[in-house]
Amino acid sequence: MTAVWSTVLANRLGADRVLVGGACARYRLGNLVPAMVASPTDEAEVADVLATAARDGLGVVPWGGGTHQSFGRPPARYDLALDLGRLNRVLLYEPADMTITVQAGIRLADLARRLGESGQFLPLDPPLAPAATLGGVLATNLSGPLRCGYGTARDLVLGVRVVGADGTITKAGARVVKNATAYDLSKLYVGAYGTLGVVLEVSLRLYPLPPSERGWWLTGADLACCQEAAGRVLAGSHLTPIRLELLDAEAARACGCQGARPALLVSVAGVPEAIREQERSLAAQAGEVGGVIGPLERPEEAWALVRDFPWRSAPPFAGTQRVLWRGAVLPSDCAKAMAAIRGAATGAEMSMAATVSHGVLRGAFSGAAAEALATSVARARRALSALGGYLVVADAPEAVRARLDVWGPPPDGIALMQELRRAFDPRGILNPGRFLDGI
Amino acid sequence: MIPMSSHRMPSTTRDRLLRALREIVGAEAVVSAPDELRVYDCDALTTCHRSMPDLAVLPSSTEQVAAIVRLCRHEGVPFLPRGAGTGLSGGAIPSQGGVLIVLTRMDRILDIDVANRTATLEAGCVNLALTRAVTPYGLFYAPDPASQQVSTLGGNLAENAGGPHSLKHGVTTNHVLGATIVLPSGDVVRVGGRIADRPGYDLTGVFVGSEGTLGICTEVTVRLMPLPQAVKTILAVFRNLDEASNAVSSIIARGIIPVALEMIDQETVKAVEAYVKAGYPVDAEAVLLIELEGLSVEIEAEAPAVEAACREHRCLNVQVARTEEERALLWKGRKSAAGAFGRFTQNYYHQDAVVPRTKLPAVLREIAAIGARTGLLISNVFHAGDGNIHPLVCYDARVPGQFERALAAGDEIMRVCIQAGGTVSGEHGIGLEKREYLRLMYDEADLAAMRRVQRIFDPTGECNPGKVLPEDEDRKGEAP
Repeated sequence: MTAVWSTVLANRLGADRVLVGGACARYRLGNLVPAMVASPTDEAEVADVLATAARDGLGVVPWGGGTHQSFGRPPARYDLALDLGRLNRVLLYEPADMTITVQAGIRLADLARRLGESGQFLPLDPPLAPAATLGGVLATNLSGPLRCGYGTARDLVLGVRVVGADGTITKAGARVVKNATAYDLSKLYVGAYGTLGVVLEVSLRLYPLPPSERGWWLTGADLACCQEAAGRVLAGSHLTPIRLELLDAEAARACGCQGARPALLVSVAGVPEAIREQERSLAAQAGEVGGVIGPLERPEEAWALVRDFPWRSAPPFAGTQRVLWRGAVLPSDCAKAMAAIRGAATGAEMSMAATVSHGVLRGAFSGAAAEALATSVARARRALSALGGYLVVADAPEAVRARLDVWGPPPDGIALMQELRRAFDPRGILNPGRFLDGI
Repeated sequence: MIPMSSHRMPSTTRDRLLRALREIVGAEAVVSAPDELRVYDCDALTTCHRSMPDLAVLPSSTEQVAAIVRLCRHEGVPFLPRGAGTGLSGGAIPSQGGVLIVLTRMDRILDIDVANRTATLEAGCVNLALTRAVTPYGLFYAPDPASQQVSTLGGNLAENAGGPHSLKHGVTTNHVLGATIVLPSGDVVRVGGRIADRPGYDLTGVFVGSEGTLGICTEVTVRLMPLPQAVKTILAVFRNLDEASNAVSSIIARGIIPVALEMIDQETVKAVEAYVKAGYPVDAEAVLLIELEGLSVEIEAEAPAVEAACREHRCLNVQVARTEEERALLWKGRKSAAGAFGRFTQNYYHQDAVVPRTKLPAVLREIAAIGARTGLLISNVFHAGDGNIHPLVCYDARVPGQFERALAAGDEIMRVCIQAGGTVSGEHGIGLEKREYLRLMYDEADLAAMRRVQRIFDPTGECNPGKVLPEDEDRKGEAP
């Protein structure tokens, strides 16, 4: 069958846009390698590929930068990787509107370069951001330190153009910054892991690059002290940080902070006078909790390390196997959650960090035995669950994955979600089996 | 006037429903007398026929709402939610009769979490009541629709309400973290919540702005924001609309995002001055009301930049409010604009399109031309910062043909805005009246995707029927 499909695709896209056999290895997911890879160059080709796939019920994995394909379960069927990297053009950019419409395959680094020329930026900095594509970031709804000041993809996406699982192209939303025009379906595609359609184009809200930014580390007796400082920064001061990250000692070391203590990393932006005032205010808040602050040396490098923790910048552990995870609790519970995980997951070495303004946690477990790592994940999950939170496995060796569910228990509303999936992709061709149960 | 269908339920069904509803909520919480039902025959949209519900019911808990919805489903009668009835698109008009579920008794604030800056409240809680309740903690709820003194959070959520301050802070959808929803099946589901990014589809995001057609929201969890250290309000006066519009883009191009950036045209200035005397100059063609918010040192640095941007576009005068009273007065003029026109004209037709900010000068010129062509006064007072315009088409319904001309002018304006890359509604919603305009923006495939979602939530189509989506071309003629 593969020969037939690949011929059909090659006829449509051109032979150089379709890979088969060993050339597909780069698109490996766990033990699975797709039979084919298609690299369409325009939306009509994407639509054609999906219509073909739907007809034959192929399993299709949309592929952007490939930076976070480790999320999710292995696909139930993996016939075709749909590489969207060639759909990377800027379609409409009017700097004075502070909006842009781009193709979803654009890499964040390329987008940032283009926007920087006009003194603007897209405040989305998920782990491994430079290589990630916009489409991939939307699919996974990942965020980074800038979330503190600017929110997430769902706040920045104004509209999308999507190819459905049957090859039909639809749009949702618009390219204006305010819109109450019928159902806001663009929200559905953000965080859907590509299971409701393949996003082709995105209209985004942009921000002006701040005139200047400065960062500090704040350390105190322990994590709880840093959490207390964060609480004071967020409520009870006039500080308006754009990044606020809580790092345990191991994460702080991996991100280049001096000493081996937990730290709160803070960054504020604005005019120099405002930055100086905020520095004074931060120092005062630190003093109140018995902590001290110091300037971040080489802040750009430091923030890139924090952003990429624990993906790129994990501490050097002795263990040979590594599990990366992501989760959330209430913002005020971050330190408590990190301590609870440390207490529960005793079978692994670990390090953790949190975007403390929003209670979003991330971390790494390391160990020699898959069994012990899986147990650590289960215990950490229970610890977060007890605080009302959750834990998702972002990356793990196959032997660990086999012993646990990467997503954990289903959320409220799962029945509606399953129906949405059936209505949008009745044959289940998009990322089959990778997302939640029945999706 | 837009015609309404006049089907009403059989009296035996009505009697049965009445008895059952009384059992669910108690006799005093069911409204059945025609003269008492009349207060529920419209919302703040005035260009539609009024239509009374068969019955209205005022539940006081999620469980009661669920029982009412199950009852309606069982009887096969339409039902719809209503908050304070301040909606401007007819979303709460019982255009097909049925049971109106009025949520104003569910107005409790259930939880205020200062450390995590969230609040959970019942859907009938009034917008401003929430902000008042959290002010002592140094917090506020950002979306501030003009109706905020009376409109409910549930209604704000249904319409994805905005307000003057949404330029910097965003609209309702950016502030709703989760909701308790009674689905049209009568099942209760909790979507979203205070814990970030739980895996799964963003049902909250789809539900916000669904105008009561996907279910009835009974509780909302919202994000609160810290009160700013300082506020500065600036009034800039311009010779003409073009220069004012260009000043708007110029301010934002300097990297300044004011918390509000409102434009008021000459007709509005005249009406407002005759009404509240806010101190606006009546000889100027356009006035910009600009508000900065943040650290004192920050806005002290930004204010001169704003002034420079205005002067660059030849503004005639810049006035900075020196006291809280002066600030309130400047805002009073803006906020009383619609009321001022109520005295000035017999009737008006209020629109809500959004255009890309850079298209404002061209669109405003087109609107002026439409006014000149139709002989109707069209005033403009709107959120210039985000391109959300509110043309107010004045007419006198007593003069034969004027209403039709006003609607036609509205129609032309809508087409101009969408042609410029804009949308039908920025914050009022689609409701009853603007459904057909969706076809100017969305093709059948786009609408089909929306219908797919609607049918998942409401397979039998009884939850606020006849709202939001235009009639399905493929299904026209099928039995309803």
